[in-house]
Amino acid sequence: MSNISAGHHPRTTSERVQAFLRALRYLLDVLRARPLFAVGYGIVVGVVVLAIFAPLIAPYPPETANPVDFLQPPSWRHLLGTDATGMDIFTRIIYAPRIDLTIAIAGTAISAIVGSLIGATVGYYQEVGGVPSFFSGFVMRSADVLQAFPVFVFAIALVAIFGQSLQSIIAAIAFLNIPIYLRLMRSQVMSIRRMRFVEASYVAGTPDRYIILRHVIPNSMAPVLAQLSVNIGWSVLLTAGLSFVGAGVVAPTPEWGSMIAMGFQNIITGQWWPSVFPGIALAVTVFGFALVGASIEVLADPARRRAMAGTMRQRRTKEA
Amino acid sequence: MRVVRYIGKRMLFIGPQLFGIILVSFFLVKLIPGDPAVMMLGPLATEATLTELRNEMGLNLSLVEQFYIYIKNLVLHGDLGRSWQTTRPVTEDLFLRMPATLELITLGLILGLLIGVPLGVGAAYLKRGILAKFSDYYGLLAGALPDFWLALVLIFFFYTILGWVPPPLGRLDFFTIAPPTVTGALLIDSLLDGNWAALGSAAGHLILPVVTLGLISGGPILKMTQSTMDRMLESDYSRYEEMCGLPKSIIIRHALRNSLPSVVTIVSVLYGFLIGGAVLVEIVFSWGGAGQYAVQGVLNADINPVLGFVFFAAVLSLIIYLIVDLIYFAIDPRVRG
Amino acid sequence: MAENSAAGTILNIEGLNVSYPVYETDPVRALRGIDLKVREGEIIGLVGESGSGKTTLARSIMQLISRPGRVDSGRIEYDGRDLATLGEEELRALRGNDIAMVIPNPRTELNPLVTVGMQIANVARYHLSLPRKEAKKMAMAMLEAVQIPDPTRRFKAYPHELSGGMAQRVVMAIALICSPRFIISDDATSGLDVTVQTQVLELLQDLVQQQGASMLFITRDIGITAHYCHQVAIIYAGEIVELASTQNFFDNPQHPYSVMLLSAFSHNPKLRGLWTKVVDAALEGAAESGCYFAARCVRASDKCRAEHPDMREMTDAHSVRCHHPVER
Repeated sequence: MSNISAGHHPRTTSERVQAFLRALRYLLDVLRARPLFAVGYGIVVGVVVLAIFAPLIAPYPPETANPVDFLQPPSWRHLLGTDATGMDIFTRIIYAPRIDLTIAIAGTAISAIVGSLIGATVGYYQEVGGVPSFFSGFVMRSADVLQAFPVFVFAIALVAIFGQSLQSIIAAIAFLNIPIYLRLMRSQVMSIRRMRFVEASYVAGTPDRYIILRHVIPNSMAPVLAQLSVNIGWSVLLTAGLSFVGAGVVAPTPEWGSMIAMGFQNIITGQWWPSVFPGIALAVTVFGFALVGASIEVLADPARRRAMAGTMRQRRTKEA
Repeated sequence: MRVVRYIGKRMLFIGPQLFGIILVSFFLVKLIPGDPAVMMLGPLATEATLTELRNEMGLNLSLVEQFYIYIKNLVLHGDLGRSWQTTRPVTEDLFLRMPATLELITLGLILGLLIGVPLGVGAAYLKRGILAKFSDYYGLLAGALPDFWLALVLIFFFYTILGWVPPPLGRLDFFTIAPPTVTGALLIDSLLDGNWAALGSAAGHLILPVVTLGLISGGPILKMTQSTMDRMLESDYSRYEEMCGLPKSIIIRHALRNSLPSVVTIVSVLYGFLIGGAVLVEIVFSWGGAGQYAVQGVLNADINPVLGFVFFAAVLSLIIYLIVDLIYFAIDPRVRG
Repeated sequence: MAENSAAGTILNIEGLNVSYPVYETDPVRALRGIDLKVREGEIIGLVGESGSGKTTLARSIMQLISRPGRVDSGRIEYDGRDLATLGEEELRALRGNDIAMVIPNPRTELNPLVTVGMQIANVARYHLSLPRKEAKKMAMAMLEAVQIPDPTRRFKAYPHELSGGMAQRVVMAIALICSPRFIISDDATSGLDVTVQTQVLELLQDLVQQQGASMLFITRDIGITAHYCHQVAIIYAGEIVELASTQNFFDNPQHPYSVMLLSAFSHNPKLRGLWTKVVDAALEGAAESGCYFAARCVRASDKCRAEHPDMREMTDAHSVRCHHPVER
């Protein structure tokens, strides 16, 4: 983290280790000042662990209907009850992040990489003039048009075009998020481009490609990372929404959105558990990612992280 | 005057912007697989009748020709084609459904403002209090809750258990006679008609979806209000007002006024988003709004409703951004120049 | 109430220490043991470089130290009342009403969305509980008093529509409208042209004396104090190092720092900028135990590096904090 504010890279291994340790200490101070952030990290790690070890933990198979046991309320036998086809809700909830998180993380990662690269290039050449600046104008106007579409309808249309599969949902999410990173990276790069050390290596004749990859992108990563985490949460919501209208993951594959949709009819007749529990799991997960994003935002802002870590230090010295 | 010149300049860009949006969405939506002719006539239709229908709909032409015809009809006759599902012109369908959506999201955003602004101001002012804590949690939670799920939970409590609200099936009770359509917004139309039964029924049906959207959109409004107010209360002029010994209430009122542009911006962004984004809530409440119409179109390879919806949404967003600019003009003397 | 028993002292600062905590190092001590008395009707000049603690002192008097700064010890008495014991409402009634501040950079500190007339009127309205109309009338009169050209039009102007000099006059109008007894002018004219600066300062001096108020006149420009102040205080590294009547001070400056200021400051902004850097460097090297100025002082001895000097009264109305004061 420290190299972001200082604007240079630690060269030797020991410098790197020190920078890492300093960043870690900041993180711990900030987590102590805002315990809620720690909860966020806990949720994210917890959900990932549950997803990985789902087959070991889950008491029932996730996709096998059991018509005898349909719509059972929560009990010791079925912790969170069963749905209309008799599938165990607890089992399906802990299997679901395998799909939801895969889609969200893959989609967001692709858009972050593609969007950042385009954004960095566009921002770097913004003020040069000639072909590059014409190109960047074109890219930005395209992003405008892309963002002018109603997001949800656009997502459904993309899934409809690519066919209803995991890959096409990932593609749709990636496509939708590209403009966000494009803009973010572009504005970052434009301000970093003007900084003295970048100017210096430019004057020294370092190739553009090298400057972008070595100086500009590493120094503008912090807001992208903060956005990434928030975006993963948001993509989980979008995936669930797509499945809810039937344009996303198809039943009986365990996925929170489609589980909520399956329980939709039951809730009106009073069987709340098939919908409510997956929704809580979904909300908690998104909440966790949002918190992690917020913590990164604080860590990336020298003033805020100092203020926060500083109050922590004061409190500690007072106690001592 | 500057306002007029500014708006004129804005208007110049609207045409090309709309054209770009239609261009992209046309070729995109055309990529959706599925043959409308087959869907319309069913699996038992003969190849001959299918071909005839395709010719009639212009599907045998090249994409560029189809696009040309589409644009020509739009510009010359304001015609957005027909939906094969409703067999009616898309413009008519949308004029019927768009007001339903707009009524819903306008009321939802008003509720969001009523929740978000006071909480945001309070949290910015009382930094260490319970209110600030609550606002923090609320902001994060509102961003994490799926709106369609929140809608279901509300239905469960207030309809299934308590029975305080009508069933989530449309905008009016079955036996209520709808008022004649003037604006399309049922609250206004029934008021104009003096139809109190319809007014009550419409209001009852609006409660849950509006509360859903209000609770969710209150989150971003709160965050924006809080962070801007924070900045404004720390700003040089707020400190100066404090130095001059002005009462807290005045300092807060001035800071709020200076924060208004940000709040207006976030509301406009939310409005633009919700025109299509409220579709999940619309589906839960069988609202029959514009978003739902478009989604049905996508799922059934009925492309005219989709294109029409995108067009309407784009026009509405542009109008909203224009209004926002006018509000900026009214608030900030520096922009007026 | 003119000449009361406390020899007409309106502001009395005793042993004021203020510091700003810093993450992972020792707090920065912005003010160290400030003692200062201001008598009624007196204008006292406070001269020091940026970072010497001038603004912190001004904000301390207003009881508005910017976060995370805090008062470690000492007291500030205004009109016999310890300001630290007053509640938020009592303080609010004092600020802008009894103690007013004339600020630098008024164009960023005036509210951009409120007309200047209303900003002046607001202060009168809430302190003097006047109806809106009366307050506006008073603000109008005040705009005339600060000699703004075309006051009727300026009344409805927004801050961004004013020139620097006009904005400065507006801020003076805000400060003076409630006829305060004590005025702090914080580097108020630093952003103006020299000619405008003179006009504004003379106006300020006139108005202050008309109202019989006292003023703490904070500046970086030592030359100005000779014309407008009764007393001069030199502040260095958060500490007052010399305090004398203007006459005595300019006749016989005794602290080596004062002498350097006088020689280096001959209205040359470049020299001033250079000086700031030198001071910063000196501050970094300063030992906590000795004289803070020792590292930069030509007269420094081993004693200076080992022992912190106390304030000594050399002659009548002339004190200096130095082991080896300069003699004529």
